[in-house]
Amino acid sequence: MAEQRGRRPEVFRLEDAGLTLAPAEALPEATPEDLAPIVPAPPRSRFGVTLGGLFWTALGGLVSLGTGLAVTRLVEDLFARAEWLGAVGLAFAGLFAVAVLALIAREALGLARLSSLDTLRARAADALITDDRPEAEGVARALIALAKENPRLARARGDLTTHLGAIIDGADLVRLTERTLMAPLDAQARAMVSDAAKRVSVVTAVSPRAAVDLFFVLYTAVTLTRRLAELYGGRPGFLGMIRLGRHVLSHLAVTGGMAAGDGLVQQILGHGIAARLSARLGEGVVNGLLTARLGLAAIAVTRPMPFAALPAPRLSDVAAGLIRKAEAEDAPQPGRRRAGGADGE
Amino acid sequence: MTARITLLDEARIGLRSLIDRVEDLAAPTLRLGVTGLSRAGKTVFTTALIHALIRGGRLPVFEAANAGRIASAELKPQPDDAVPRFSYEDHLAQIVEARRWPASTTRISELRLVIRYAPPRGGLRTLTLDLVDYPGEWLLDLPLLDMSFADFSRTSLALARDPARAILAAPFLAALAASQPSGPENETTARTLAAAFTQYLAACRGERVAMSLLPPGRFLMPGDLEGSPALTFAPLDLPGDAKPAAGSLAAMMERRFEAYKSAVVRPFFRDHFARLDRQIVLVDALSALNAGPAALADLERALDSILAAFRLGRNSLVSTLFRPRIERVLFAATKADHLHHTSHDRLEAILQRLVERALGRAKAEGALFDVAALSAVRATREASVTRGGQVLPAIVGTPEAGQEVAGHVFDGNEEVGVFPGDLPLVPDGLFEPGGGGFRGLASADGRDADFRFVRFRPPPGIGAGAPLPHIRLDRALQFLLGDRLA
Repeated sequence: MAEQRGRRPEVFRLEDAGLTLAPAEALPEATPEDLAPIVPAPPRSRFGVTLGGLFWTALGGLVSLGTGLAVTRLVEDLFARAEWLGAVGLAFAGLFAVAVLALIAREALGLARLSSLDTLRARAADALITDDRPEAEGVARALIALAKENPRLARARGDLTTHLGAIIDGADLVRLTERTLMAPLDAQARAMVSDAAKRVSVVTAVSPRAAVDLFFVLYTAVTLTRRLAELYGGRPGFLGMIRLGRHVLSHLAVTGGMAAGDGLVQQILGHGIAARLSARLGEGVVNGLLTARLGLAAIAVTRPMPFAALPAPRLSDVAAGLIRKAEAEDAPQPGRRRAGGADGE
Repeated sequence: MTARITLLDEARIGLRSLIDRVEDLAAPTLRLGVTGLSRAGKTVFTTALIHALIRGGRLPVFEAANAGRIASAELKPQPDDAVPRFSYEDHLAQIVEARRWPASTTRISELRLVIRYAPPRGGLRTLTLDLVDYPGEWLLDLPLLDMSFADFSRTSLALARDPARAILAAPFLAALAASQPSGPENETTARTLAAAFTQYLAACRGERVAMSLLPPGRFLMPGDLEGSPALTFAPLDLPGDAKPAAGSLAAMMERRFEAYKSAVVRPFFRDHFARLDRQIVLVDALSALNAGPAALADLERALDSILAAFRLGRNSLVSTLFRPRIERVLFAATKADHLHHTSHDRLEAILQRLVERALGRAKAEGALFDVAALSAVRATREASVTRGGQVLPAIVGTPEAGQEVAGHVFDGNEEVGVFPGDLPLVPDGLFEPGGGGFRGLASADGRDADFRFVRFRPPPGIGAGAPLPHIRLDRALQFLLGDRLA
């Protein structure tokens, strides 16, 4: 046992050279400027070559080679015609190259941001389970840095910063962070999804062609996902949107089955009631519910923290207006029944 | 344990709880029991809790307060007129102005807080919180209900003859040897024996030994029963389970033991203990670590018998009406400010190890449990000291006058940094049977102790109107009250 003994108790005078007092707990006036910058997510190590990767790499290489060749030819031709024409062409080519580089950089940044959100969420979940204080503090600081761009979170950010110096356990700190920073964003996200769902259902109900509402649903889904990602600090680019879309769809596939209990019954019921009124209206409700569910999936994949202290939004939260509306329409109004049926067909 | 609670008592408990529930319909009420063995910090905890609710404060983890949903909390006259009021104002003044810790709890006291709060969905509601502060020693009496005088004599004499206590018990044991259990009853002998027994129990509480399992609890905190026959008895060396002859000393002691049970223990159980909804048990694990392995083992035994007293578990409809159970229990290792925060997890691990058996039982019953290292009024700041290339996590505060570390006696004004020693990463080593786990003040002259947790005075510069500094008080509040305010 003796060899395991820790260090001996000791007493020090305050004047002792080696003694450093810990800073007092931060006052509420902490400046947001001196917060730590966001830590970029460590690149994921991927080993092995996939067929798809090979295909896209080869194609990308060929296309860029072809483009390069074409541009070079074009500039050479221009030079052959006239000196000044060539110079202008060269300048345009240079601008093009710069723009392409900038675009690529932006896309890469967007992707990195997205994956940093994923990493953050994983770290937060980790800290919740292990109750690890340093990890939780890292998560909180990263989120504070992320929230820097959202002016509506200024107060929440300041509050949270003052609590970082206090003695709070890891899991509690993660929950506190979630309650402080995520609550306003969650409310906004919920409103966004709910609005989008309502819009889709209305447009579907009144649109003259199926193609129109198909296009509109797609468009709404994409913008909704993008806006949610931006709300939670993601700002994805084009490639980021594609990845996010895949994420959302796979999340939907996973949770779709689980949500069947609460969702499907309502969907069928809602559809049934509405459909008796009018097929178009029923389709509108279904499309609205689809959008709502898509929005929920998008929230789940873009939110940088898991739902721990706050309740995760459920379909009934965001689609309540939709269903209520359908039910209100369904209320026995003999005079309207026929009119409803006529307008749909 | 509850087998000996009589049917009549059971009926009274049932009736009382039915009345409580009916009152609940009109005004939702939560009875929170605050207990702990003496010097665990019950009074300070209760004071700080009331202060935090009334004045508000830095309570980030306590969701209702942090979200600003608590509109107000105020003190109201308590429901039981026969129970002393918890004198919150005096205790607070003592901590804040005199910078002294309040005197220890010697009796049960009660205070009612009315909290106006807004549920997350909106509206304004009222929760009445009844705080019941009672000495943990009284819980040690509850197992006595199951014991006969012979059983009680046997167990307490066995404890007194334990090597760790034998020296302290020597005067009592000598007095016992001089008495004749089968002799005629004699008030003087009874009083001598009871006084020696009380003295032995009191000696066991000293800082160097810090024993915890010291029933009967009222001997140490008699309150208004001091000198009454119910408190004037002592365990005797009885030959067997045979009924002592009428008129003998043993018969007299037995009568008084029974009187103690029916006049002291049973009313407490019936009127207060059986009515609690939530419970926080404060444990001063640091004092036991200070004193040594024997004290730690003793604390473990004491906690075990305390926990056996609780009726834990989730309430069903019937049990809610007639036999409410305690749904949530928080075990709190108090005085966490005597340690650097990096050691808090280790302190929690030690506490967890101490209450392990009870935890298992509670989980099986469906009660919610949590273990936290907390400090209701934080008396220290943290610092780091570099010594010989090592960085020691230290704490800075003003030790109480008379405290001593390595030969240095503090005057109560000097502010120093203390490194209290490293708690082990895995607590099992501390509980090594045979007491070889670590060295405390009780061993040798205390110079080579593994830990030294100095008692600090309350911090300077705190005001009655300002929030008190604390460690994890908000977590305790969240666990105990959070769901009722949601």
